[in-house]
Amino acid sequence: MNGETSRLGPLSSLRRLFQVREAPILIYIIIMIAVFSVTINGFFSMKNFEIISRQITTIGIVSIGMTLVILTSGFDLSVGAILSFAINIGGQGIVLGWPIWIVYPFMLILGVILGWINGFLITRLAVPALIITLGTMNIYRGITMVITKGVYITPIPSVYQVIGNGYIPFVFFAAVLGFFIYVTLTTRFGRNIFAIGGAEQSALYSGVPVRRYKMIVYIISGFLSALSGLILVGKSGFVQPQAGLGYELNAIAAVVIGGTSIFGGSGSVLGTFLGSVMLGIILAGLTMLAVNPYWQGLITGILIVLAITLDSIRYLRR
Amino acid sequence: MRTIRSVSSPRSGQLKIIFILLGVNILIMAVLTYLSPTFMTYGNISAVLTRMSELGMLAIAETVVLISGGFDISIGAVMALSGAVLGTLHVVGVPFSLAIAIALLAGVAVGFINAVLVVNLKLTPFIVTLATMSIVRSVVYALLKGHVLTELPEKFLNLYYVYVFKLPLLFVILVATAVIMAVLLKRTILGRRIYAMGGNERTAYISGVFVKRIRYLVYCLSGFICALAGLLFTVRIRAVIPDAGLNAPLEVITAVLIGGTTIYGGKGSILGSLLGIFAMYLLLNGFSLLGLNPFWEVIILGIILIFVIGQEGIVRSFRASLSRRRL
Repeated sequence: MNGETSRLGPLSSLRRLFQVREAPILIYIIIMIAVFSVTINGFFSMKNFEIISRQITTIGIVSIGMTLVILTSGFDLSVGAILSFAINIGGQGIVLGWPIWIVYPFMLILGVILGWINGFLITRLAVPALIITLGTMNIYRGITMVITKGVYITPIPSVYQVIGNGYIPFVFFAAVLGFFIYVTLTTRFGRNIFAIGGAEQSALYSGVPVRRYKMIVYIISGFLSALSGLILVGKSGFVQPQAGLGYELNAIAAVVIGGTSIFGGSGSVLGTFLGSVMLGIILAGLTMLAVNPYWQGLITGILIVLAITLDSIRYLRR
Repeated sequence: MRTIRSVSSPRSGQLKIIFILLGVNILIMAVLTYLSPTFMTYGNISAVLTRMSELGMLAIAETVVLISGGFDISIGAVMALSGAVLGTLHVVGVPFSLAIAIALLAGVAVGFINAVLVVNLKLTPFIVTLATMSIVRSVVYALLKGHVLTELPEKFLNLYYVYVFKLPLLFVILVATAVIMAVLLKRTILGRRIYAMGGNERTAYISGVFVKRIRYLVYCLSGFICALAGLLFTVRIRAVIPDAGLNAPLEVITAVLIGGTTIYGGKGSILGSLLGIFAMYLLLNGFSLLGLNPFWEVIILGIILIFVIGQEGIVRSFRASLSRRRL
């Protein structure tokens, strides 16, 4: 096999590049940028890239947590609800006039707690994560609505908007991304996440603390949802009870488009990043082409179907 | 179609669940009668029955899909789609009966697409229907351009006021659909095959069940019933709204699971699902009569869902450990 590829010379290295999981999507992204740059005036500009980078951060950060969850062959439908809960309930601190260095940790801790509840229920009840998080999604959202009574928190002090300025959201995204690429690729925790998703029983028998790791994964997902909430508040300048609606769908889209298998056990955080970049570019391009925003759901849906079809083909081939 | 007599094993457990649910319903009714003088009036009860009609239909659809071992969360979106198609076609000037037919066909079409993706491409039903939900919802928004549409023929909307034996027509349609589907599931060979397929697809296939064909049928049927639900919903609220059924997946899946249907397939009953929906609407009615925040409903639903499913999970893992079998 090795000899054969080396005989093919320069072509083989190209072929090997294609075998990297993330390569095809990277190529699609480049093609898309090229097409949009030619067809749309002003697409290829720093201003536009800044807009896109700001747009993809909130869902992107959530998607990274979702990637870890899906890698363990779990699911988290409650990400948007956690985001909303964290910023709205935490936002009551803003109303009460708490300083920012208490409000921010408070919001993040709320995210951690809600993620912990998810993980606890999922690992203790031995029930599909899908159903549990469908339930908790509504519990969290319901509590948010009952407590806030649907009222926005606005205006908020300008310190809360610092985090949403210019490229700062993207810097956060990049930091989270870098950290989790490092964690998934080089640490024992990362390897075990893949092991759990690939074959949970075997992982358990070979001494992986499956329950604890699953808990941690949901806690990370909750934490990242809350973090994404902080940035969302920074960007929008108000706190809204309906925040994060539909994030679960978009996050799942970014994850599966990025090549992570919904069966768990294979995929990458980098892929998810590329998936969210791709979604961001498509949506930005269509917006600039004046396509009605109502069609966004259609495009997201079709991309999900395409991505899981590819995944399924890959899965069946193995 | 040939019919079969007795319906075997799943019965005993199902009966217990149905009795428990009946008890719960009666209990809720008793409490509400005690707390609110307006609860036990003809007007209020018939309002509850009317209101539960469209979600009841969705519950029937979901039950059949779950029994067959599938999953469908596009139900709410399909319901919105049929209303949107009906309204848009009517505004354009298409004859109303034709518009209704096309609206129902639109539901079947979505079911068909779901089936193609699940059966032929072997994709996970949950993600597939999540994607089609997003697609269908986006089509609905585009059709209605986000607006509420109220220009519908009076004659159609006045079906709301039609009563059969003092029961609202919408509820009668729900009961009729439920009876047809219950007979289909419990008294026909096709029904047995749907159960068999959900219980163990491989075994069913080996024993000669055309699994793929039946799966197509089940998803199309689900689409059809959801589309019908969309028509009922349009009649009930006298308008076509783009956000119809936005919360339906949670509400319906919760009610269906409470009613004894499992997400693992092969088990469940229409009656149980309807009792689940009825209990839910009684609770909702109680909240509004007592002036509580309606968002308590989703909280309680979520808790009930986790409790019901969790209980099942505990029983399952307990049984599994007893028989030293890993599931």
